[in-house]
Amino acid sequence: MNVGVAHSEVNPNTRVMNSRGMWLTYVLGVGMLHIVLLSIPFFSVPLAWTLTNVIHNLGMYVFLHAVKGTPFETPDQGKARLLTHWEQLDYGVQFTSSRKFFTISPIILYFLASFYTKYDPTHFILNTASLLTVLIPKLPQLHGVRIFGINKY
Amino acid sequence: INHVVHNGGLYKRPFNEAFEETPMLVAVLTYVGYGVLTLFGYLRDFMRQWKIEKCQNATEREEQKDFVPLYQDFENFYNRNLYMRIRDSWNRPICSVPGAKVDMMERVSHDYNWTFTYTGRVLKGIINMGSYNYLGFAQKEGTCQEAAAKVLSQYGAGVCSTRQEIGNLDKHEELEKLVARFLGVESAMAYGMGFATNSMNIPALVGKGCLILSDELNHASLVLGARLSGATIRIFKHNNMQSLEKLLKDAIVHGQPRTRRPWKKILILVEGIYSMEGSIVRLPEVIALKKKYKSYLYLDEAHSIGALGPSGRGVVEYFGLNPEDVDVMMGTFTKSFGAAGGYIGGKKELIDYLRTYSHSAVYATSMSPPVVEQIITSMKCIMGEDGTTVGKARVQQLAENTRYFRRRLKEMGFIIYGNEDSPVVPLMLYMPAKIGAFGREMLKRNIGVVVVGFPATPIIESRARFCLSAAHTKEMLDTALKEINEVGDLLQLKYSRHRLVPLLDRPFDETTYEETED
Repeated sequence: MNVGVAHSEVNPNTRVMNSRGMWLTYVLGVGMLHIVLLSIPFFSVPLAWTLTNVIHNLGMYVFLHAVKGTPFETPDQGKARLLTHWEQLDYGVQFTSSRKFFTISPIILYFLASFYTKYDPTHFILNTASLLTVLIPKLPQLHGVRIFGINKY
Repeated sequence: INHVVHNGGLYKRPFNEAFEETPMLVAVLTYVGYGVLTLFGYLRDFMRQWKIEKCQNATEREEQKDFVPLYQDFENFYNRNLYMRIRDSWNRPICSVPGAKVDMMERVSHDYNWTFTYTGRVLKGIINMGSYNYLGFAQKEGTCQEAAAKVLSQYGAGVCSTRQEIGNLDKHEELEKLVARFLGVESAMAYGMGFATNSMNIPALVGKGCLILSDELNHASLVLGARLSGATIRIFKHNNMQSLEKLLKDAIVHGQPRTRRPWKKILILVEGIYSMEGSIVRLPEVIALKKKYKSYLYLDEAHSIGALGPSGRGVVEYFGLNPEDVDVMMGTFTKSFGAAGGYIGGKKELIDYLRTYSHSAVYATSMSPPVVEQIITSMKCIMGEDGTTVGKARVQQLAENTRYFRRRLKEMGFIIYGNEDSPVVPLMLYMPAKIGAFGREMLKRNIGVVVVGFPATPIIESRARFCLSAAHTKEMLDTALKEINEVGDLLQLKYSRHRLVPLLDRPFDETTYEETED
């Protein structure tokens, strides 16, 4: 739909997470995932919570920290081609409200999951490992860092 | 509702602009729609890669598979998974003059829009709500056409040279004097292409060490011209005078980024009517700011010349201001005059400078004579110099059509953006599926519309854009409104909650970021 793609917003991906209703949709999406998992009769409540946490973190990792570039062509000769969506948010400015929101939400989910799994050791290890995979890439020091060259190009 | 109008004293007429906020439920459903489309896109890509589904796109040859890829196929994700599904709403071939009614070639697709075949049938008499035909001069009969045909037989179709070499016809000189008289400026210059007018002349006006303050929603030609010039570009919020004033203050106080030297020039780039939003620039305030901070103003009247103002002289006349306050008045002949090309008007020294230094003047071919004659005839018609009142009648008809159409759509309950007087009417659709559905349903009912979606607009604000014309009679508008009403009920597009604030000043906040300068 390149009809009049004619505005100063060079990379619309940077503003997507700030748009009206995005945070609410995200919260509703996580809630829906959790309800679906709770409805499966074989899963106990702790298992459902751990699965919610793990699947949410996996999804967040894939969409925010693994996929690079933009799904459309941008008029800036590909400055964002090697950047993940997290790095593209707000053109790389750190500690904006979207970034804070998406950093805090996996932590809240982790607290809830730890509570509902009654701090059981196996669940704890799983939840913590998955939380770390999704928190560490969000640190400002790791902006643009690719460890061992994984996912560099 | 207690509403404070900022700087209301500068306006001689009421300024009614409204951008109703997206209802939250609609926003959530829109994101869900895009999310589902994304997931299905990944699924289909997966199937295409593992050869479960035939790949209709262009792929690399077998021998090149081990090389570094030339294109990143993720950049094409949106194109092949979203755009392809609804592609039949764009690039429709028309086969008659795009007046108030137009004929279109019918085409069908048997493989979900990857390829089209023409059935051979021509859909006749489709009401055209998409052409920028504001004063209805896109005609094949009439005085303009006869004059253009006469000039065609006299001068031929091509000029075969640039303005500076042997391509400067007496017709061009006549046109430029006429344009200068029409606008109320000292002198004007005309170019063959509207886009090239912007992109080739802004580099001639500003350079490195200058500052360009451009509106958020400026057209690609202005953005390209600004980038090509090498000046520093700062963007202010759309039509937001507080944002512009803050940028001006910062620029003058802090100067250039590292050296703190004063800027050589500050140029404010605005448009008369923004075609994506239907909003009109707050020209009295911009001119007041320009005078206070001693900067220059470049006004792009592509959509507003001929369409606004009691005698069609554009947005400067609409607000009752002095054309000499605007330093560079630019416009195009494509929209209201039914021709092609652009012009720049201003002081004589400025235009003489541009005649020597502008890229378009030096390298681009000059305008074709029949096109020039079309502009001359239509401009004389608008000014009333051809002895009839046809021009004035057209301008009034456009204003009446605009008011009527907008009022009826608002009464029906659609969300319409923009100023009450702008002939560009964006109707909000929001959801990606409705973009395709609206275009197709309207075509079934014999009305041609233009629909736009992400990434040309923000992600939740996809819209259908109606362009009104003086050639639309009230019966055509009534037919169109009836069909829009039906489609609106069918697709549930009537989102408006009728909570219209008369002058919605979008509050200025600091929470958007822009690309930092390299």
